[in-house]
Amino acid sequence: MSEPLLDVSGLSLAFGGLKAVTDFSLKLHKGELQALIGPNGAGKTTIFNLLTGVYRPQQGEVRLGGRLLNGLPTHKIAASGMARTFQNIRLFGDLTVLDNVRIACHLRARAGLFSALLRTPAHVAEEAAIREKAMALLEVFSLADRHAELSRNLPYGDQRRLEIARALGTEPKVLLLDEPAAGMNPQEKVALSELITLVRHRFGVTVLLIEHDMALVMKICERITVIDHGVTIASGSPLEVQGNPAVIEAYLGAPSAEGH
Amino acid sequence: MGYLRAVSPFLGAIVLAFVMQFGVAPMFGAYYQKLLIDIGINIVLAVSLNLVNGFAGQFSIGHAAFMAVGGYAAGAITYYGSFHVFGDALVHHGQGDVLFLAATLVGGCVAAVAGWVVGLPSLRLKGDYLAIVTLGFGEIVRVLLQLTDDVMFKRADIEAASVGTLALALGGALGFGGLPFYTSIVWTYFFAFTLLVIAVRLKTSGEGRAFLSVRENEIAASAMGIDTTRYKVRAFVLAAFFAGIAGSLFAHEIGTTLNPRELGFQKSFDIVIMVVLGGMGSISGAVLAAIVLTLLPEFLREAASYRMIIYALLLISMMILRPQGLFGVREVWELYRRPKVSRPQVRPPGSLP
Ligand SMILES: Nc1ncnc2c1ncn2[C@@H]1O[C@H](COP(=O)(O)OP(=O)(O)O)[C@@H](O)[C@H]1O
Ligand SMILES: [Mg+2]
Repeated sequence: MSEPLLDVSGLSLAFGGLKAVTDFSLKLHKGELQALIGPNGAGKTTIFNLLTGVYRPQQGEVRLGGRLLNGLPTHKIAASGMARTFQNIRLFGDLTVLDNVRIACHLRARAGLFSALLRTPAHVAEEAAIREKAMALLEVFSLADRHAELSRNLPYGDQRRLEIARALGTEPKVLLLDEPAAGMNPQEKVALSELITLVRHRFGVTVLLIEHDMALVMKICERITVIDHGVTIASGSPLEVQGNPAVIEAYLGAPSAEGH
Repeated sequence: MGYLRAVSPFLGAIVLAFVMQFGVAPMFGAYYQKLLIDIGINIVLAVSLNLVNGFAGQFSIGHAAFMAVGGYAAGAITYYGSFHVFGDALVHHGQGDVLFLAATLVGGCVAAVAGWVVGLPSLRLKGDYLAIVTLGFGEIVRVLLQLTDDVMFKRADIEAASVGTLALALGGALGFGGLPFYTSIVWTYFFAFTLLVIAVRLKTSGEGRAFLSVRENEIAASAMGIDTTRYKVRAFVLAAFFAGIAGSLFAHEIGTTLNPRELGFQKSFDIVIMVVLGGMGSISGAVLAAIVLTLLPEFLREAASYRMIIYALLLISMMILRPQGLFGVREVWELYRRPKVSRPQVRPPGSLP
């Protein structure tokens, strides 16, 4: 197989005495959709925070397209092609839906502060292009007719979808989705899984998905990595993982696992 | 044609400034003309502080210190420069106005450098800590200015003195008196309108939205590729530049003394109140608040000594009743436009990029 797009190896982080992530490795190839699952507090969000530079890894490496990302600040990691959503929604609440996406689009903009203040033709053209691009993204997520609303006034499910639209605004190579279906009802979840599949093909992004809903994960993912207490306990195709006794014990076996 | 659009609002600022001087001002007496200048200066102060406190969401309470830095720098240049060029420190229209403009811009730049120096280390701090640093900076500026030497007023002494000596002869605690009165309605409103054009253009561009994203959610902003520290420093520097310009306008205004006490914490607090009252992030809100809060003390002369109490009560009730300020982040013209229910007014965009 070719070089993986995202190559994570031996990633570790402890908060004081708590080993949140231990020796985590993952290879994500271009175009793949993989899932990261595990019980609450397993360290999944922490892994996303390590990948995006919110936390610095104490050990291990993160490479995107061969480039080492360790130690880069979050905005540089975003610029190198990694975008994410947040489990606890972090929209720009007092800004409009459109502005949320436009801010993400700003990453690929070239006109600077002075051309903005002088309203140079290049700047005007770029602003128009950004608006067009943002509206097109909102269209995909059925949010276009709410573009003028403040994002905090959106219903919960719309907010989650706006988070994905915003992440796509940065034109990522790898998209990290942290429990995008959390708090959604079954119909919404089905719609979302279809949306993720659509987004993946339409935008050519590679996706790493954290999700609690096993049915959803089994249906749309090629490969699943299961972690518990920061340790990888299984990794493989949905079928392989489903049959793994360690997984059943740690996660699938627990009847309360769903709905966290 | 694109370039015409680029500069026409700035030309408009100049035209409007002249309209203020020759169209509006003659309707009023000298007293109200001075008030007009005060209002203009406060607009510059409130709108510039709004870039930091409202746009970038960093709570600075040391804006008057940047005003002082700019005012003293510009004042030293026009005062001592006038002695060198004209032999005295009186107003010499024409050449003197050019000197004043140059001094004002230099004052803005010196204040901007101060903003950068304060901003770079302290913008890693958040909320209350940043507020304390800016407050501390204001006090340092005040104390340093109080320690400066007496103003020189003999032409021979001034011509003999080195630049270093002159730069330290800023009047100390007594203040820097004797500056030529160059500040006119034209100058004041030229800078006020220019700043307004800049602020509006900023708010409606990607660069400005980057400022706003920092205010809204820093973690999300950086995850979207926004270099948050850079935008915070930018806001700080830009705001300090215009505070410095306001300082120069204040320094060269009739009936004001450039004095370390005048530009201390109380002045900073006045500006913060304008921004908070108008709504953090609302340019028109800051303008309105600057107008109202400049006029209010004039019409409530008897209550002047209770001003700080009134302000404090105002602030507390605002925090309780309308924490987002009068206009929140919105502009006056947006107040009636934002619909509660979404309207299907969207033009369907072209195919995806
Ligand atoms: N900033 C932090 N400081 C201390 N402990 C943390 C921090 N972030 C996460 N943790 C701990 O790390 C563990 C993993 O958390 P998290 O990655 O959020 O789990 P998950 O996303 O899998 O539910 C939990 O025990 C959590 O309490
Ligand atoms: Mg989590």
